[in-house]
Amino acid sequence: MRYFEFGILGFGTGAVIAAIALGLVVAYRASGVINFGHGAIAAYCAYSYNSLRTDGEIPIPPLPNPVAPIEGLFNVEIFNLPTFISVGDSVATIPALVIALLIAAVLGLIAHYAVFRLLRYAPVLAKVVASVGIMILLQGAIVIRYGSRAKQADRILPDDTVDWFGATLPIDRYLLLGLVILLTVGLWALFRYTAFGVATRAAAENERFATLLGVNADSQAVVSWVLASVLAGLVGVLASPIIGLTPNQLTLFIIPALGAALLGRMSSFVVAAAAGVGIGVIQSVLFLLEQNASWVPDLNIPQALPFIVIALAMILRGETLPSRGAITAGRLPEAYVPKLTRARVSAYSVLIAVSVLIVMFAPFRFRSGMNNTMVGVMLGLSLVVVTGYVGQISLMQMAVAGLGAYAVASFGTDAGLPFVVALVLAVLAATAIGAIVSLPALRTRGASLAVITLASGLAIQEFLFKHEGWFGSADTRNTDAPSLFGFEMGPNSSFPIGDGKIPSPGFGLLLIVITVLCAISVMRLRRSRLGQQMLAVRANERAAAAAGISVAGVKMSAFAISSALAGMAGAFTAFKLGQFTADSFGIFVSLSVLAFAYLGGISTVGGAVMAGTLFAEGIGIVVTEEWFNLNVQEYTAYVAGFFLILTAVYNNEGIDGFQRTQFYNLVRKIRGDRSPTPAATAEEVTA
Amino acid sequence: MSERVLDIKGLHAGYDGVAVVRDLDLYVEGGEVVAFLGPNGAGKTTTLMAVSGMVQILDGSITVLGRAVPKLRQAHLLARWGVSHVPENRGILFQLSVEENLQLANRGGRTDVTPAIDYFPALGDLLKRQAGLLSGGEQQMLAIGRAILCKPKFLMIDEMSLGLAPVIYEELMPIVRRIADDTGAGVLLVEQHADLALAQSDRAYVLNHGDLVMQGTAEELIRDRHLLDATYLGGETLEEEPLR
Repeated sequence: MRYFEFGILGFGTGAVIAAIALGLVVAYRASGVINFGHGAIAAYCAYSYNSLRTDGEIPIPPLPNPVAPIEGLFNVEIFNLPTFISVGDSVATIPALVIALLIAAVLGLIAHYAVFRLLRYAPVLAKVVASVGIMILLQGAIVIRYGSRAKQADRILPDDTVDWFGATLPIDRYLLLGLVILLTVGLWALFRYTAFGVATRAAAENERFATLLGVNADSQAVVSWVLASVLAGLVGVLASPIIGLTPNQLTLFIIPALGAALLGRMSSFVVAAAAGVGIGVIQSVLFLLEQNASWVPDLNIPQALPFIVIALAMILRGETLPSRGAITAGRLPEAYVPKLTRARVSAYSVLIAVSVLIVMFAPFRFRSGMNNTMVGVMLGLSLVVVTGYVGQISLMQMAVAGLGAYAVASFGTDAGLPFVVALVLAVLAATAIGAIVSLPALRTRGASLAVITLASGLAIQEFLFKHEGWFGSADTRNTDAPSLFGFEMGPNSSFPIGDGKIPSPGFGLLLIVITVLCAISVMRLRRSRLGQQMLAVRANERAAAAAGISVAGVKMSAFAISSALAGMAGAFTAFKLGQFTADSFGIFVSLSVLAFAYLGGISTVGGAVMAGTLFAEGIGIVVTEEWFNLNVQEYTAYVAGFFLILTAVYNNEGIDGFQRTQFYNLVRKIRGDRSPTPAATAEEVTA
Repeated sequence: MSERVLDIKGLHAGYDGVAVVRDLDLYVEGGEVVAFLGPNGAGKTTTLMAVSGMVQILDGSITVLGRAVPKLRQAHLLARWGVSHVPENRGILFQLSVEENLQLANRGGRTDVTPAIDYFPALGDLLKRQAGLLSGGEQQMLAIGRAILCKPKFLMIDEMSLGLAPVIYEELMPIVRRIADDTGAGVLLVEQHADLALAQSDRAYVLNHGDLVMQGTAEELIRDRHLLDATYLGGETLEEEPLR
C-alpha cells in the first residue's frame, strides 16, 4: 500500500518529465532540434512566476554594461542596468501565470529566430552546442537573479488531499496527471488530424518538398517552438511547489525527459508522456524501496534511473531517430594544422616563457589563475580530440576527470604509490572508463550521443561520486602533493625561488611541463595517420568506412585519448585542491567546459589554449577581475552560455579560428594577395 | 495568343555564385506543353529550381504568372500563386499517407481528392496507405495527382520517367497533355526521353552544358531529329552539320 501511495506521489515529478518530453518532441518534429535547454525554459518560467507572485517583479536577463570596464578602472559608478521590471507589490495568480507563459512564448520565439532558424542548415554539432548554450545561459541567468538556494514556490493547484483508491493523497498529483493526459491527447490530435499537423509533419520530413507545396516551414516551426515552451513553462509553474524551486533541479529534468522522448523516438507523444510519468512513478517507488527493503543495495538507484532509461532507449531504438532532409548541410569547423615555421616556434616559446614567469613571480591570484588555466587547457584538449577531430559530442568530460582525480587520490595517497605511478594509473583508469562509455558512441552520433554522454555524466556524479563509502565520506578525499625524485611539487610545497607563498611555483612549473606535453601530443595526433582518419570519420562515417577506415576503432581511440587527457586534468585538479571533491566534477562544470572549449575553438590546439584562459578562475578571468575590477566570476556560466550560442551560430571555429582568419586577411592585404583564403578550401561536408 | 505563365529572360543561375545555366531565354504560355530537353548535367533541374526560388538567380529575370520569383525564405508563396512543381524525386512525403499527401495540395487542410482520382483511378484504393509503401509508378501518379489538386496555372514536371518502366511512363505522358488541355495550365516538361516528350508537346527547348542550343515547335524538332541527337552525343557535330 505504501508503494502504491509513493507511486501516486511520483505523478508530480512524472508530470514535469512528461511535459518537458512533450515539448522536446514538438520542437524536434517541427525543427529537427533536440533542445537541451527545454528544462531550463521551464525553470525560468517557474522563477518568473514566483517572482511576480511574491515581489511583483519580472526578471530582466543580465545585459552587458558597456561602461563597466571604465567604472572599474577609475573606481566610479556611472550607471547600472535594471535587473527587474516592477509591476506593483504582488501580482494575482492568473495574471502572474499569464505573464509567465508569455515569457515562455518569448523564450520560444527567441530560441527559434535568434538561434535555431539561423542554424537550419548547420551540422548537428552546432545545433547541439547551441541548445546546450541555451541551457547554460538560462540556468546562469536564474542563478544571477535569484541565487542557487532553493526558494519557496507559490502554489496554484489546491493542496487538499483526497481519499481515492483507499489512500489519502494530495489532489495536485492527480490534477497534474490529468493535465498531462489532456496535453498529450491534444497534441496527438493536433498533429494527426489538423492541417497544421499534416503540414508540420511534411516540413519535418522534407523541408524542400513541403516548400514546393506552399507550406511555410518557418511559420510551422515558430508555432511549434512557442507551443513547446509554453507547455514546459506551464507545468514548471504548476509543479514547482511539489518538486522544489532550485535553478538546477528543473533544468536537469531535461535528462529523464530526454530519456522519455527518446523512448518515443522523438515522435510519439503518447509514448513520451507515458514514459515520462512512468519514470516519475518508478523513481518514487524506488526511493521507498531503497529506504525500506534491506535487499536493495544502497546505490542511489532513483538518481541513476534516467541514465538506465536512456541506455535502454538507445539499445532498443538504436539509431532510429527520424532524420530530416534539409536543403544543405553547413561546414564543420576547420581542424587547422599550423606549419612549424620559425616565427611560430618562437611565438610559442614566448608564450611558454611568459607562463613560466607568471607562475614563478606573479602575485597569488595570477599564479593560481595560471594553474587553473593549465588544467583548463588540458580539458580543452580532451574535447579537441573527441569533438573537434572526430565530431563526437561529449558532455561528460568532468565526470571522466573526476574519475581521474578520485583514482589519483586512491592510488597515490591511500595506497601510498609514488606520484608518477599513481598518475599513470589514474590516467589509465580514466582512459578505460572513457573507452567503455564510448561503446554507445559506436552506434550513435550527433544529438543522441550528446544525450547519452549527458546522462552518463549525471549517472557517474550521482551513482559514484555521491555514494557514501565508495568515494570517501562527505564526498571528499585527500590527495598528497606530487613529488618527483624526493622533490615535492604540490601547491603548498616550498620552492627555492619566489616569495615562498602558496601556490608554489613548483606546482605551476610541473603543470606547464605536463600541459605543453599534452598540447604537443594533440598537435602531433592531428598530423598523424590516426588524426587524418579521425577527420575522415568526422566528415562522413560511411565514406570513411568505404575507404577502409575502422570507424569504431577510430571513435574508440578518440574517446580513449580524450579521456586520458581529461583524467590527467582531473588528477591535477585534485593535486591543486589537495583533495577530491565531487562538486568540482559536476554536470554543469562539464557543460561549461564544452562551452569554453567551443568558444575558444573546438578543433585546434590554439582553441584549447584560449579555452583555458577563459575557463573558470583562469588567467583571463583573473586579469579582468584584478585590472578592471569587474566581478565576472558570478557571470561566468551566463556569459559562457551566451558566447557559446554566438559561436555556434556565427563562427563555429571559435576565437582561435576568428583571429586566424583576421590575421590571414591582414597578411593578404599587406601582400596584395587576391587568392582565396585557406579557410575557403577546407573540407566541404554534405550529408 | 494566350498569356505567358513563365517568362525567363537572360537567366544566369547556379550555386555559390557559379553559373550553371547561362543566358537562358524561355517562355511558356497557358494551355501549352513545352518540352525542356537536354543531356544529364545540362542545367534543366537547376532552371526549374531557380523558377521555384530555390536556386540563386545570378543575373536576368524570371517572371511567373506576372510576378517576380521570391527569395528562398518566401519560396512557399509560389505554390499559393498557382505554380506547381513536381521535383525530380517526385516530392512524395513517405511518412504521410496517400490521403495526407494529397491534402498537402491545400497545405494539409481538407481537400476534395476526386479530381486526382478521376485522372488516376488506381489512387482511389490507396488513400489510407503510407506513401513510402507505394511503387514507383504509384508514387508518380500521386505526385501528378497532387499537382492537379493544386489547380495550377503553371505546372513544372521534372523527369517524370525517372526510375519507371517504359510501359508506365508511356501511359503517364499523355495525361500531361490532358491536364494542359483540360485546365488551360501551361506545362514545362523536363524529359530525357525526347521522342516521348515531343509527341505530347507544342514546343521544345534543348539545353546543353548550360547553354540553349535549340528551340522550336515540336514538329520542327522531330523533323530535325539528327540535330537533337547531336546535342546528346557531342557539341561539335551540331556546328559541323551542313544545312540540307
